[in-house]
Amino acid sequence: MAETSEAQASASASAPGGDAGGEDDKRDERMLECNICLDTARDAVVSMCGHLFCWPCLHQWLETRPSRKVCPVCKAAISRDKVIPLYGRGNTKQEDPRNKQVPPRPAGQRTEPENNSGFPGFGFGEGFHMSFGIGAFPFGVFTSTFNFGDSRPSAAPHGTAQYEEEQFLSKIFLWVAILFVLWLIFA
Amino acid sequence: MASMSPSERRLQKELMSLMKEPPPGVTVDGDQASQNLTLWTVHMEGVPGTLYEGEKFVLQFKFTNKYPFDSPEVTFVGNNIPVHPHVYSNGHICLSILTDDWSPALSVQSVCLSIVSMLSSCKEKKRPSDNSFYVKTCNKNPKKTKWWYHDDSV
Repeated sequence: MAETSEAQASASASAPGGDAGGEDDKRDERMLECNICLDTARDAVVSMCGHLFCWPCLHQWLETRPSRKVCPVCKAAISRDKVIPLYGRGNTKQEDPRNKQVPPRPAGQRTEPENNSGFPGFGFGEGFHMSFGIGAFPFGVFTSTFNFGDSRPSAAPHGTAQYEEEQFLSKIFLWVAILFVLWLIFA
Repeated sequence: MASMSPSERRLQKELMSLMKEPPPGVTVDGDQASQNLTLWTVHMEGVPGTLYEGEKFVLQFKFTNKYPFDSPEVTFVGNNIPVHPHVYSNGHICLSILTDDWSPALSVQSVCLSIVSMLSSCKEKKRPSDNSFYVKTCNKNPKKTKWWYHDDSV
């Protein structure tokens, strides 16, 4: 990666200078050249081995030898999933007719920073859901009893027809459950 | 410049840098190459202190419009073909980077350097053992030859 980070460093160093000219600027420009077309890399991607390419150029090379995908510079293994796009601050919508013939370059992978504040597993306040159940019907009674923080819709307000209906239903289910348990015990 | 194909653009860039900073003992015929970017003539001098000291060779590069994804066709031409175990008397060169091991990151300059180094590391001036058979039967284009790269020492 040394080559790339150097290239990036020189890019950011030369940016504020603008068109100052001189040998240094020329060298800085060359560090951002695609290793295939030798132009300043467009839709730039960098390989794991640190080599810079235009995505259209690299894609064409990978298509040329599908059976042997190696980095053109160092012959390390290379693939579509193993390159990282470089997003500069400039306009990313540079026009390049070759773009239309190749799939868009792979997107960058973004990993969320790790949250190190305490143990993340048992935050009961954050919608933690826990169900105990062994699969047989009677125990389902306990299952629904031991649901913590379950975000089901709240019960209908008192007095409405829906409230009466729900009460009725829950009573029926309660009696069915009791009968079933009794039957299990005495049968 | 705007109407140039990608391969022409790259060849133009290579020609400029090769004319500006040629490797030692290598000169490119710039006038001819800029008239026809797909056919270059490169002059090469034997490196002092090697078996080819004082000799002069001429290399011909032919490019297709798939360059640099497709390797250039490189042969020795003219009346002095170096006598070397990997150079046939018709000018064809057995060098892996010219076919199987070609990479678009290589260039005319790096091919020239490889050939200079191939000549310089030679210990004994002789033709390949199958020279007479190959020269009689081969295709005009050395890239059509199925080369066997078995000798990495020279």
